[in-house]
Amino acid sequence: MTMSQYAAELCALLIEDQFGDLFARIFTTLQRYERLPLPRLKFYSRLTERQLHHGLAAMIQHHLVFHFTSLEDGNTYYAANPQAAYYLIRSGKIIHLVESRLGEYAARVMETILYLGHVPIKHLETLPDLRYLAPAAPNGLVKEEEPEEEQEPQELDTEAGEETNGANGDHAEEVLQKPAPLHSTLKALASHGYIIRVKDAHFQSPEDNYIEAHKAASNRSDIKMLKGKRLTEELLQKTEEILRERTDGDLSEGLMVNGLPRGVKRKIANGTSESASKWHQTDHNGTNGNHADDDEENDWSEDEDGFDNIPMEPSLVLRVNYEKLDVALRNARFVEMAKDDAAPATAEVYETLLRRIEYVTKRCRDTSEIPREGEEGEQFSIPIETYKIVSDVDPHLDLSGCMGPLNPASASVNRRGKRPLENGVNGDNHYEDEDEDTVDDDVSRAYEINQHLQLLEQAPHNLASHVRLSDGIKWRVGFRGLARKLRHLELERLVEMRYGDVALRVLRVLHAKGKLDEKRLQEISLLPFKDLRQTLASMQAGGFVDLQEVPKDAQRQPSKTIFLWYFDPDRVCSSVLEDTYKAMSRTLQRIKFERNLRRDFLDKTERSDVKGNEERWLSEGELEQLQRWRDMEAILLGVVSRLDDMVAVFRDF
Amino acid sequence: MSRFGAKKGNRAPGAEFTWDADPGGVPDTAPTPLYPAYVVPWARKLSEKEQSEVNHYRHLRERFHEGPYYSVLDTSSSSAKKGSAARANFDPFHGMPSYSGRYQKKRRTLPKIANIGREYETRYFPRELWPTIMPNFRPNASIDGFHAQTALAGMKRGFEDDEDEEDDTAKRRTAGADEDEGEGDADEGELLEGDEEAEEEIVDDDFEDDEDDMGGDYNAEQYFDGGDDEFGDDGFGDGGGGGDEDTY
Repeated sequence: MTMSQYAAELCALLIEDQFGDLFARIFTTLQRYERLPLPRLKFYSRLTERQLHHGLAAMIQHHLVFHFTSLEDGNTYYAANPQAAYYLIRSGKIIHLVESRLGEYAARVMETILYLGHVPIKHLETLPDLRYLAPAAPNGLVKEEEPEEEQEPQELDTEAGEETNGANGDHAEEVLQKPAPLHSTLKALASHGYIIRVKDAHFQSPEDNYIEAHKAASNRSDIKMLKGKRLTEELLQKTEEILRERTDGDLSEGLMVNGLPRGVKRKIANGTSESASKWHQTDHNGTNGNHADDDEENDWSEDEDGFDNIPMEPSLVLRVNYEKLDVALRNARFVEMAKDDAAPATAEVYETLLRRIEYVTKRCRDTSEIPREGEEGEQFSIPIETYKIVSDVDPHLDLSGCMGPLNPASASVNRRGKRPLENGVNGDNHYEDEDEDTVDDDVSRAYEINQHLQLLEQAPHNLASHVRLSDGIKWRVGFRGLARKLRHLELERLVEMRYGDVALRVLRVLHAKGKLDEKRLQEISLLPFKDLRQTLASMQAGGFVDLQEVPKDAQRQPSKTIFLWYFDPDRVCSSVLEDTYKAMSRTLQRIKFERNLRRDFLDKTERSDVKGNEERWLSEGELEQLQRWRDMEAILLGVVSRLDDMVAVFRDF
Repeated sequence: MSRFGAKKGNRAPGAEFTWDADPGGVPDTAPTPLYPAYVVPWARKLSEKEQSEVNHYRHLRERFHEGPYYSVLDTSSSSAKKGSAARANFDPFHGMPSYSGRYQKKRRTLPKIANIGREYETRYFPRELWPTIMPNFRPNASIDGFHAQTALAGMKRGFEDDEDEEDDTAKRRTAGADEDEGEGDADEGELLEGDEEAEEEIVDDDFEDDEDDMGGDYNAEQYFDGGDDEFGDDGFGDGGGGGDEDTY
C-alpha cells in the first residue's frame, strides 16, 4: 500500500511517539523503499544488524511490520504496515469504547492485548495485573463505600425481576480479591468481535496474501478445467474465498447466545448499566451511579461461577480486530448524530438497533477503497425485528416521555406521560409498573419503539429505514448512504467554518444541481454577483470548487467560452483527508517540540525516584507546571483525536 | 514613500522617524503589521469522553515507554566508545555522569527481546529472526544453509555477525539465569542491570558499521590500532578493505 507523504509522516511520528525512534527509523526506511530484505534494509537504514534484528522482532510482535518469506529464493522481505501504525492513535478511543460497553476490567484486558501486540491466552493468565478485578491502589477506597450501599442493589435487582444473586453487596469485598474472570471477559470481547485469532496471513501484507490466494486458487483442479471468461470469474471468486478463509480469525461463532454476545444481556436487563435513564437514577438515590460499576463486575464473576466455566483454549493467540472496532466507532458516531436532533430516548432506541446490527457486521464496507460518489449502490444492513429491540432496550427507559400521547385511554401512558423533572410523584408509580409486566405492555412498547425509529427515518438524515413484512416491521440501516452523508456534513462544516454561510449555500446548490455557469448559479442561489464571485474565488483557491471551461469555437477565446462551476465531493474528500493527515502530524510535531522545550523539567519528573511520588519531591510550582503541561498535552492529543474522527469519516466508514 | 506626498502634509519627509516627537520615549520597535488580522482559532475544551480517551491513550503510551521495546537511537554519553557517533554527539554540559544521574531515566538503544517474561509465537516470525527471539535457539544445518543464502550481499559481515550473535546469546543465557533469580529485586538492582545493558549495547554500537558504510575510505581511527584488530587480516583480504591497505 503506497501512502501519501503526510500519511507516511504521520505514521512514523506515531510510532516514534509510542516506541521510540529506532522503530520509527526502520518504519520510515521500509515505507520509503517499500519491501526490503534484511541486507538491503540494513544498507538503507544505516542501523546495525543487532538493532535491526531486535527492532524487527519487536515490530512484528506489534504487527507494525509485515514479513514474507519467498519460497523461490528463500529471502525474507519486510514491509511497513501503515494501517497498524495509524491505529496507534485510535487506541484511546478503543479502550474507552470497551470500557463503556464491557466495564473497566474488560478495558484493562483490551489494553493489555494492545500493549502486547498479539498474545496467547496462557500468557494473559500469568499476568499479575489481570489477576484481580480492582487495581491495587483504589482498593481501600472502594471498600469504604461499599457497606453504605449494601441495601440498595438488592432492592434494585429484585425489583428488576432478575435472578441476579441476592447477596450482591455482601460479596463485594471478596470480589475485589477474587481472581478476575479473565476467560469470560475474553469470551465477551471475542463474541463482540473486538479480538480475533491471529492467523499466519495477518503477518503478510495484503498484496502477498492476495497473490498467494490467487496461486492457490489457480492450482485447484476444478479451476483448471475452466476456460475464458468463466475462468477469470471463477478464479476471482475462489481467490476471494481463500483470502477470506485465511485472514478471518473470527471467534464470535459459538459464543453468541440468541444472537447476543456474552456479557451484554445481563447488563442491560439489570438496569444498572450506564444507559439507565435519568429518572431511573433519581428514583432510587444519587449514589446509585457509583455502584453501577461494582455491580457489573459482579455479573462477570457470576458468569464464570455459573453455567459458563469452560475456559478458552490456552494456546489461542489473540489480537485486536480493528475492522470490527471501526464498525463500533461508526455506530457511536451515528448515535451522536441521532442525539443531535432527537430526544435522548430516541437516540437510545437507535443505539440498541445499531448494537444489534453491529453484532453481525464484520467490517464497515466490503471494498477496500471508498467508491466514487454516485457509483455506490445502497447496501442495507440486515433487518432487525422490532421485538428484538424491545427485549434489548433498557426496560426502565421512558419511551413515551418525548412522544405525543398515542392513546389517551391507555393507562400506562398516563402514568409515564410526563418526564419527571422533580422526582417523587413518579417514583411510586414506577414500582407498580414493574409488577404488571403484561403482554399488553410489550405491545405498546413495540409500538413506541416503532414510533421512535420512524422519527429517525425522516429527513434530513434518514438514520434508519423500515421494511414491512408479513410478520411485522423490521428495521435496517443503510450504512453506505449514511457514511456518504457523514462525509458531506463534514465537508459542509469545514466550508461554513472557513468561508461562511454564503459559501455553504453556494456549495449546496452546486452539489444539488451539478455544473452551473455563473449566471445560473446566481439565479438559483439568490446572491448578488459580487458576493458570489468573491466566495467562489476563495473557495476555488481552497480547492473546494472547480471551474471547467467549455470553448464554443476552436480559438478558445474567453469571450466565447462557457465557464462552469462544479463541486466534486470525491476530490475534495481526498484532499481534505490529506490535509487532515498533515494537520495531525503537525500537531504531533508540536507536542514533540513543546516537550523538547521543557525537556529538563520533564526529565526530572520522569526520574525513577520522582515518578509516582510527585507530591513528595516536586515543589508546588513544579507540580503546577507539570499539571499545566499535562493539560496542554491533553488538549493537543484531543485535537489529534478529533482530526482522527475526520479521518475515520473520510477513509474508514 | 514619495516626497510629493510628504509636501502636501505639513511634515518633513522622514519626520515619522525622529525621536523628537516624544523626547525620552522608547521607540516603538513593534513590527509593522504586514498581514491582515488573523483570528487564531481556539480548540474547544475537551469533553469528558475525550478526556478519558486521551488518558487511556497516554496510559498505554506510558506502558509502551516503560516496556521493554521502547528504544532510542542515540543516548550519547561520555562512556561511549571513542570516535563513535554517540561520543561525537556528547553534550558536555548535561551529559556528564553525576550522582543524581543515577535516578535519571535510562533509555535503551536496543529493544529487549529475550528474557522479559514473554513467550514468542515463533511460527509467526521469519526464520532469520529466530535466534533473536529465542536465546537458546541453536541454528541447525538447514538454517545455516539458509543463512548462507541471505548473506550473499556481504559475506564478511554476515559471517562476523553470526559469531557476534552466538557470543551474545551465550552471554545472555548466563545473564538470564541471574535475572531469573533476581527478578523480584529492588529497583536498585534493576537500575544497575539496565545500566550494564545500555553500556554493552553502546559499546556494540556502530563503529564497525561506519567502517562498513564507508567501504574503503581512509579511517583515522584505524590508523594506529589497525594492526591488532582481530579481523584485520582476512577481513580486509577479500576486497572490502583495499583502500586501507594503500594507506600503510
